Amino acid sequence: MARMKFLCDAERCINCNACVTACNNEHDVPWGINRRHVITLKDGESGEKSVSVACMHCTDAPCAAVCPVDCFYTTPDGIVLHDKDLCIGCGYCFYACPFGAPQFPEQGVFAARSKMDKCTFCAGGPLPDNSVEEYQKYGRNRIAEGKLPLCAEMCATKALLGGDGNIVSEIYIQRVTKRGGRPEAWGWETAYNFKSKKE
Amino acid sequence: MNHISYILMVCALLMGPAACSYESRQTTVHEPGVYKGAKDPLLAQQKQQELIDRFKLVQTDR
Repeated sequence: MARMKFLCDAERCINCNACVTACNNEHDVPWGINRRHVITLKDGESGEKSVSVACMHCTDAPCAAVCPVDCFYTTPDGIVLHDKDLCIGCGYCFYACPFGAPQFPEQGVFAARSKMDKCTFCAGGPLPDNSVEEYQKYGRNRIAEGKLPLCAEMCATKALLGGDGNIVSEIYIQRVTKRGGRPEAWGWETAYNFKSKKE
Repeated sequence: MNHISYILMVCALLMGPAACSYESRQTTVHEPGVYKGAKDPLLAQQKQQELIDRFKLVQTDR
């Protein structure tokens, strides 16, 4: 069984934000909310690096561990999804997530948070695949169409990879071998308990 | 007398079912770690090879 993972190659990311735009457009995400963010470190200085961050679909997802209503489930492919019909918008997942993935686009009563929204790895939610209800609540279900996340497919520099973890790491190893230097699989240690063999 | 016994009988009939009813005193209706939402129809699909082919088509280095 494939294990779906994201990897952002910080050496290739040029902070173009095409992944963010592609995601927002594909899933019709409300204004002011981004399921994916591009973070730039040392902006304008020597050694500037950018990484594209969204839900990493963690192996032992902290969001699922803290959810008081257990609205999260993990698919056999390792994609962490949630049921908006169960979500109460408590925001615990937002505090637990090391990547800042959970978003709260809607406002509930008394200015409280409403249903949580996050990256679905373009796999929708627990409603009929690509139905109107699923699209409105979770966005497009590209996985059901045999496609991969649009953010990764759109990436012009191939910095963002999204798919079977074995193939992703194979490509990344080839790149590191070719260009030299240390492998820096950003976020993998936190998300997938990944340890570099060199350490 | 007959009138009083009739009222008592009606009261007994009304209170009988109420006495038998049971209200749970459990304050949590939640089993930790158990997802109880709707099932995702996507899980029934086997798309592994299709997705691997797709990855090789669009995401590998040129």
